[in-house]
Amino acid sequence: MTLSRRGFIKVGGAAMTLPLLGGAAFGQAEKLKIGFIYVGSINDNGYNYAHNQGRLYVEENLGDAVETMFVENVPEGPDCERVVRELAQQGCKLIFATSFGFGDSVIKVAPEFPDVAFEHATGYMKADNVGLYNARFYEGRAVCGVIAGHMSKTAKAGYIGSFPIPEVVMGINSFVLAARQVNPEFTITPVYISTWNDPAKEADAARAMIDQGIDIIAQHTDGPAALQVAAERGIVGGFGQGADMSAFAPETQLTAIIDHWGPHYLASAKAVLEGTWAPGDTWEGLKEDVVQMGPYHSKVPADVVKAAEAMRTGQIDGSVHIFTGPIKDHTGTERVAAGVTMTDAELLSMDWYVEGVIPPA
Amino acid sequence: MMRYRLEKRPEPSKLMLYGTPVAAVVLTMILGCLLFSAIGYNGLRAVQEIFLTPLTNPYKWQDLGIKAAPLIIIGTGLSVAYRANVWNIGAEGQYIIGALAATGVALMTWGMSGWWILPLMAIAGMAAGMAYASVPAFLKTRLNVNEILTSLMLTYASVQLIYYLIRGPWKDPMGIGFPQSRLFSEAARLPNIIPGTIVHLGVPIAVIVALIAWFVMSKTVFGYRMRVVGAAPHAARYGGFSETKTIWLAMLVSGGLAGLAGMLEVAGPFQRMVPGFPTNYGFTAIIVAFLGRLNPLGVIVAGVVLAITFVGGQVAQTTIGLPDEATGIFQAMMLFLLLAGDILVRYRIRRVSPEASVGAA
Repeated sequence: MTLSRRGFIKVGGAAMTLPLLGGAAFGQAEKLKIGFIYVGSINDNGYNYAHNQGRLYVEENLGDAVETMFVENVPEGPDCERVVRELAQQGCKLIFATSFGFGDSVIKVAPEFPDVAFEHATGYMKADNVGLYNARFYEGRAVCGVIAGHMSKTAKAGYIGSFPIPEVVMGINSFVLAARQVNPEFTITPVYISTWNDPAKEADAARAMIDQGIDIIAQHTDGPAALQVAAERGIVGGFGQGADMSAFAPETQLTAIIDHWGPHYLASAKAVLEGTWAPGDTWEGLKEDVVQMGPYHSKVPADVVKAAEAMRTGQIDGSVHIFTGPIKDHTGTERVAAGVTMTDAELLSMDWYVEGVIPPA
Repeated sequence: MMRYRLEKRPEPSKLMLYGTPVAAVVLTMILGCLLFSAIGYNGLRAVQEIFLTPLTNPYKWQDLGIKAAPLIIIGTGLSVAYRANVWNIGAEGQYIIGALAATGVALMTWGMSGWWILPLMAIAGMAAGMAYASVPAFLKTRLNVNEILTSLMLTYASVQLIYYLIRGPWKDPMGIGFPQSRLFSEAARLPNIIPGTIVHLGVPIAVIVALIAWFVMSKTVFGYRMRVVGAAPHAARYGGFSETKTIWLAMLVSGGLAGLAGMLEVAGPFQRMVPGFPTNYGFTAIIVAFLGRLNPLGVIVAGVVLAITFVGGQVAQTTIGLPDEATGIFQAMMLFLLLAGDILVRYRIRRVSPEASVGAA
């Protein structure tokens, strides 16, 4: 039998769509397949670990009604496109793309699978079947900032960032705004390492900044490498990011920002099961329990814990919003007038540093 | 007692020359199966998903094509250079610089249309790859600096150049601060050649490049020259082939092809420059060149084999939960077994009786 290449692909393509049709026809009787795409390893004990905990949370709560699968270490580029397609072809009806750089791929592939619900974390591009979800990490940063403001002796913190996108810039600003409420001399130096997860680069950046006199370190990357360097060098401390990292630096982690994605994933899965899913755009924080604070280290003095708790509870009951003016940018120009709170839209496009940030070259 | 010894063959074995790559792949499957069974995975399924699913599922062929294309183009260039004993390890850097030059053209012509834009990008990509490869060529021919070191180190410099350009001059005005270039206009994107798939023009170009290289290497004086210089440098000098000129040619060909691959990749799957652009195609192509026996026809096969492991590795993650690192383990095993098997090309194993061996010793 001879078959042209093009013909074969057509036949193959048709064969591939059969299981999809079957799935739709049997409807709810079948398990809901849910796919997760991670930018790093689920063993990073940080960001990707936290997303995977969310996946397990869905499995625990929905049991046999769902089947989950995941792909880890997916580069932000065409490889992600392939993975998104792969998951959709394997019958996933709900797919979570959990990193900013997956946006292009999701937007590209989503129209090919109109019956699949896509959700993209921390992104900004929506579509008919692409929803967005995000967490107000900056609320946790403010709590860390309060502790840093009290405990730093040099009043200098270092901040390891991945890319200068609004989400990261916002976290840096929140941290230093909170710290400067305690100590107006406080400054922070961000360093961008152009990746979400590279323990060697994170550690190098941490070492370089400690050599320059910082004694508190925070990071917006995925693993505990910076905390481990902080422990090794014996500086005042650092913060876990994404998950409780105290196991890696028991004497150094002052507290941690914990991403608690489980409830959001569960809600989306239920919505798809019930046929009520619609592309949303959620941005939840401490109040909704999507962002949690880890335990305070015993070396954090009681009055500091009290101040940190005040920041935490204030953000929960709405009495405190860290981005309330007056706020000056790093050149000293007033950007937010006294008493005015920045809108979510302004925060999500934030591309300037507040006073106290020493901008990277 | 039976004893064995290695005996030099009068001339390299043709059978072993082409047999060991196949044996290496088969042995990798067997050992991989045992290894992953031993640590608690379904080893047979793992091998099946990684090596067979990409071949048996026609829907995966397009993925194989676009993943293999850059590997084949770079691998072809490297096979020419390695034949001449010129060890260009920095194809990744030449690939990146080629892509950057192509991006430069795409951004300069942004918003324009015209058939000439893509060819111009291709010329720019190749020229830039050649220019970047000429640095190690110059240092080698003038100062006798080891080209392995210089070409490798230039790779790291090229990555930094990406970061600089996409954070500064080329930053996407629509990217809310994310360091990436803007999306190329239609005229600067590679067309899809099979409607309804993601197979772009780069795939047939890769095959054509390899075929041309095969013809040139086996049928022309240029090819003869490269082979002779590599196989018998003294004879080549005696025959009047200048070593300097050969080094230059080898570096320019491998650099130019790597640059072309970079152009095709950025204009095809990526369609913009992003920090995640370097995905080690330039390094993986080294395995491809050797697995293909430094023969452009073999490189086509080897490129597809490596693409299978990438695509299959992602399949295995979702279907049986094999960790991402498994792909790397399979690829490394393949290269290791191939290099280990190479001894059989020049030597043979002889069974010897004890008495004879006394005589031989």
